[in-house]
Amino acid sequence: MQIDWTPFSYTVVNLARQIRPNELAFSGVNSTLPMLACLLAKRAYDFHFTYLNVAGGVEPVPTTIPHSSSDPALVAGSPAIFANEDFYDLCARGGLDLVFLGCAQVDGEGRTNVSVIGEWKNPRVRLPGGGGAAVMMPTAKRVVTWRTEHSVRTLVEKLDFVTAAGNLQTVVTPIAVFRKRDGRLALESRNPQVALDEVIRRTGFKFDASGATLTAPMTAREQAALEGLDPRGEFAAAVRA
Amino acid sequence: MTLVAGLRAAAYGVPFQPVGGVHGSDLAALNGWRKIADPYGSGQEVYVIPAISPDIAVIHANEVDEHGNARVLGSPFWDHPLTRAAKRVLVTAERLVPSESLAAQPELTLVPGFMVEAAAVVPRGAWPGSMHPLYEVDYDAVEAYLKDEPGVLEAHLAAAPEQSEK
Repeated sequence: MQIDWTPFSYTVVNLARQIRPNELAFSGVNSTLPMLACLLAKRAYDFHFTYLNVAGGVEPVPTTIPHSSSDPALVAGSPAIFANEDFYDLCARGGLDLVFLGCAQVDGEGRTNVSVIGEWKNPRVRLPGGGGAAVMMPTAKRVVTWRTEHSVRTLVEKLDFVTAAGNLQTVVTPIAVFRKRDGRLALESRNPQVALDEVIRRTGFKFDASGATLTAPMTAREQAALEGLDPRGEFAAAVRA
Repeated sequence: MTLVAGLRAAAYGVPFQPVGGVHGSDLAALNGWRKIADPYGSGQEVYVIPAISPDIAVIHANEVDEHGNARVLGSPFWDHPLTRAAKRVLVTAERLVPSESLAAQPELTLVPGFMVEAAAVVPRGAWPGSMHPLYEVDYDAVEAYLKDEPGVLEAHLAAAPEQSEK
């Protein structure tokens, strides 16, 4: 029996699917869904990859799943502490394969804004800032971002501010996965519960949808891993459609 | 990371620090960061961040001795560059310990006492944040503090651990 995707399960599982064998993958601050994706990949996939996180954890085995992706719980079971200076420097010298970096807005070229909505000097919303994104996005080998709100105000033709630009390859939302092709984000696959017209209508930038597929169904192992990470559905409840 | 580059410049005693990345970001123009060509001829252009020297760094440690030697367990986050870049360093710590216990494992001392101007023993001083391995983030306190209502700040301060010790 095929299980329907929820906004939560679609986003986390498709983030997890970006991780490749033997990679060094990193999740940062305010990145609960990538944190869950990395922990899910550890449980659902047979290949090895190394998970680093902003709390300084290296291959942690957390006994509790924290609400915050920078919680020291993400160091539990870690045989080393590889803290902020170390992982930023590793990224800058080209040693991080996959970095999850958040955004408020992303444009069709895969650049992100985490700084401000409106004018810098007269903002409508002052955002928390890149947290190193301007350094990591051009230097990581691959960057993946995500938004739980897929709308014309989050996936935009023109950013209010360019916080970071560079090697962003993939954008995951609850309804679609975009991948960069010839310098532009193109639709790679979409949630089978959503029509292509809806993806187009809810996306502010123009994109190529040729070759786009329906996202492969969640596997039993992905589902089991996700339920294990969120047995009470608390994380799922925090992601609204 | 650009912030840390500025702290490192101050710690290294140089006016600026090269940093990887930043290319393509509006932050460079906004902050007036300059880009220089590699003087050794690689052809690379590198952003350089001006030194940032905080007047005072305050760090919270697990243990401190009477000389201000401070031990931090768990992830140090930015404590190392911050204490090296700042003009003055203040320490708060969970508990006071004899110097001999720090000397037994000196590699765990994050900042030596000669750099520390003053220290205070403040149990649960990281609240509502966490202090490895003693206590975790008090998420309830953080969420209560986030409410935009009258009296929230007062209630937060009244709930602080030092209040219950008076």
